[in-house]
Amino acid sequence: MNKNAIPSNERLLIPPCSIDEDIGIVTLTLEMPGVTKENLDVRVETNTLTIEGQRVGNSPTGEWLLRERPVGSYRKIFTLDETIDRNKIEAKLADGLLTVKLHIQEAAKPRKIAIN
Amino acid sequence: MELVPWKKNVPNDLWDAFDDLRSVMERSFGGFGLPDVTGLLDRTGSPAIDIIETSDEILVMADLPGVKKEDLELNLAGTLLTIKGSKKSEQNSDKRKIFRKETWVGSFARTIDLPANIDNEKVDAELKDGVLTVHISKKEEAKTKAISVRVN
Repeated sequence: MNKNAIPSNERLLIPPCSIDEDIGIVTLTLEMPGVTKENLDVRVETNTLTIEGQRVGNSPTGEWLLRERPVGSYRKIFTLDETIDRNKIEAKLADGLLTVKLHIQEAAKPRKIAIN
Repeated sequence: MELVPWKKNVPNDLWDAFDDLRSVMERSFGGFGLPDVTGLLDRTGSPAIDIIETSDEILVMADLPGVKKEDLELNLAGTLLTIKGSKKSEQNSDKRKIFRKETWVGSFARTIDLPANIDNEKVDAELKDGVLTVHISKKEEAKTKAISVRVN
């Protein structure tokens, strides 16, 4: 059985993601509006990084005059390269924007070798 | 994805040509060519909005991930509500290498026409976790009232 299966009545949303690298740090930025810290799950298993989040407070009772915002759960799975330090992953959630900082292992950084 | 081949019931049906054309159109424009992400501006160039009418207020909700309170401007003129704002890039380094860019940076504006029975004076807006929620009260006479029925 697929342990990642989501309830069938919920739509799976793929959050838009930007990836950039700046001197030894790979930053992932994901747009996840409506997700609170309590409903967010970021976990690392051997070589996968899984980000899951549930949108909360999305269904007030009343008559819908316009409905454009998606309903469902966010999920995105990344495969981590060997050069990423598994013990040094930072995640921050602010204003519906999740920022994950992945540090590149010291041994994998380019080194300048002095010539004798 | 369908795995069962579709069989024609009537040979040389005139409508098949239309069906074929439609399926080609759907394959070309629907789903495949469009990104399947659900972002701030992946729809039509403006944030996604929900408008809900409850018994005593109009609720407007908009997805604005990464937009700060100070960069957001809300205007209510008559029944027209304008949501205007901008999202700034967090970092600007020359050494930065960009591998993928799906999140969005820039400015946006959207105007929505609300029902006529709103009370302009009673508006309350909140920006939390990237979702803007605006509560606009209805006029007293427009609110739903429970009427008790006397039984003789």
